[in-house]
Amino acid sequence: MSEYLNDNPDVLEVDELPSRKEDNEQLFENFGSKEALERKKLLLKIDHSPTSQVLHNIELLDKLLLLNNTPDLISDTENLLTESDSDLNDESILGAGNENICEEYLGEPADPVDVQEIYDLTAHICDPEHPLTLGQLSIVNLPDIEVHDDGNPDHLAEVVIRITPTITHCSLATLIGLGIRVRLERALPPRFRITILLKKGTHNSEQQVNKQLNDKERVAAACENEQLLGVVSKMLQTCK
Amino acid sequence: MSITLAKGIKLQNDKTWSLDYKRTPYANLLAVASTDRKIKILNIKPNGTKLEDVLDGTVHRKAVRSVAWRPNTDINTVTLAAGSFDATVSIWTKDIASHVAEDEEEEDTDMAGESEMDLLAIIEGHENEVKCVAWSQDGMLLATCSRDKSVWIWETDEMGEEYECVSVLQEHSQDVKHVVWHPTMNLLASSSYDDTIRLWKEYDDDWECVAVLTGHEGTVWSSDFEASDNKLDIRLASVSDDSAVRIWKYIEEDDENDGQQVWICQSILPKVHHNQVYSVAWSPKSGLIATSGSDGTLALYKETEKGSGTWEVVAQKELCHGVYEVNIVKWIDVDGQELLATGGDDGSVNIWNFKI
Repeated sequence: MSEYLNDNPDVLEVDELPSRKEDNEQLFENFGSKEALERKKLLLKIDHSPTSQVLHNIELLDKLLLLNNTPDLISDTENLLTESDSDLNDESILGAGNENICEEYLGEPADPVDVQEIYDLTAHICDPEHPLTLGQLSIVNLPDIEVHDDGNPDHLAEVVIRITPTITHCSLATLIGLGIRVRLERALPPRFRITILLKKGTHNSEQQVNKQLNDKERVAAACENEQLLGVVSKMLQTCK
Repeated sequence: MSITLAKGIKLQNDKTWSLDYKRTPYANLLAVASTDRKIKILNIKPNGTKLEDVLDGTVHRKAVRSVAWRPNTDINTVTLAAGSFDATVSIWTKDIASHVAEDEEEEDTDMAGESEMDLLAIIEGHENEVKCVAWSQDGMLLATCSRDKSVWIWETDEMGEEYECVSVLQEHSQDVKHVVWHPTMNLLASSSYDDTIRLWKEYDDDWECVAVLTGHEGTVWSSDFEASDNKLDIRLASVSDDSAVRIWKYIEEDDENDGQQVWICQSILPKVHHNQVYSVAWSPKSGLIATSGSDGTLALYKETEKGSGTWEVVAQKELCHGVYEVNIVKWIDVDGQELLATGGDDGSVNIWNFKI
């Protein structure tokens, strides 16, 4: 007896996985800020050997350089109504409305999330039973990801991801789906509604698993289950 | 018709799951349940809102999913039930007689922190997450439901200290998401992940399922009865994962089956929501129905003529908690004026004015 549910999965090599086109010719194109371009040139000058970490992570470097401002983090202690300063008598609730429309993002260029970003976020999650990633096992596939996003943080956006379990009775399908959901909920802005489905015809109890993976209450409860969260956290670490 | 924000109150950074409102002689209390395990009590006044109390956050070990004020049997106390993902239900109480007396002498007394709600009882029995708690109209029965597929009915005393389980209802085939009692009769409705609603009544000293409402094509998240004193005029509104809002109507007792009732789906309300609808509230005052859900929209519906079954959308507010989902909507009566309260995944409670 094998210790695995599926001990002979098809495996893709890491460099076979879809990624953004990288081309040295284009390294310096499409750079918004002159300052960032200078910094990039400088970094590449310091270390341009084939083993350079900078060259290997050029995409990450671009992202870091393009970050004009670090995003605002909300402290757990700030901005919350506490008993000590609970007096909110300053305005009448029966009067006219006083809507606060969030305008802090106005003027920033829209930066929609695309399918490759969703792929990069999910394809490197570790399979719960094999020391391989969901991308290598073709559980997550680029053509099975749909994104509807206009990049505006005040508009709703949607991600639909269809996963392909390695075998049709795979009991770990729910766990894999939960791992993907936790990763996306943590990484994506709150405007996203995430739908995770098993690809049609890939699983015997497709509907049951789909229903469970998209029930916010079940997912919230699962995330308070220490044991389950431990397994998910392991999956979310980089595969070794 | 329009809906405008009267007050937004940010209470925590995680999901607000449930709200329940109660008018007392000394304050308008809005209880708030959330993922942070601390139940908060707001005092909603026409000229402002105040955080009255934060209950002991160590009582529940997981998110508090549901809160419900006990309909008063004694005007000197307020009692709250709370159900948690930790499988338990807590009961909290506070003596308000002193406040009532004080208020007559000095109107602006600051009550915050003066006396807190105390833990009165912990009810155990469910195997896992408690999803909803609801009191019967006389305050003597408490219904609780859970992912363990069961609905439990507990009987209590005047003080609300002792709880005896009088029935465990296990007919649902999946999680029971929500329970609600009829506002004037001991009739209970339960909504489930099995896509159905079941109605329960006491019959021959036991609680029995008297009707199963099928039609929704997804989890039924919640339901609410129309306020009515007429025993033959019973209606229920329900909302579901399938994005629909349905109105169900009681027709008659089933002559062929003892105790069974015949219900029909009277109407499906005009479509507003695009995704899961999580909450529905039927106003006892105006007869309007309010719904909220995953798409962040708060919608109001009006029946063109009472009882006709023809409804129109009279107002909707999109993104009423920004880009976050809205888990709960409740009608609140603040000193005679009807307002709405919503709770969202952003950790806020929003109070809304509306104009017809």
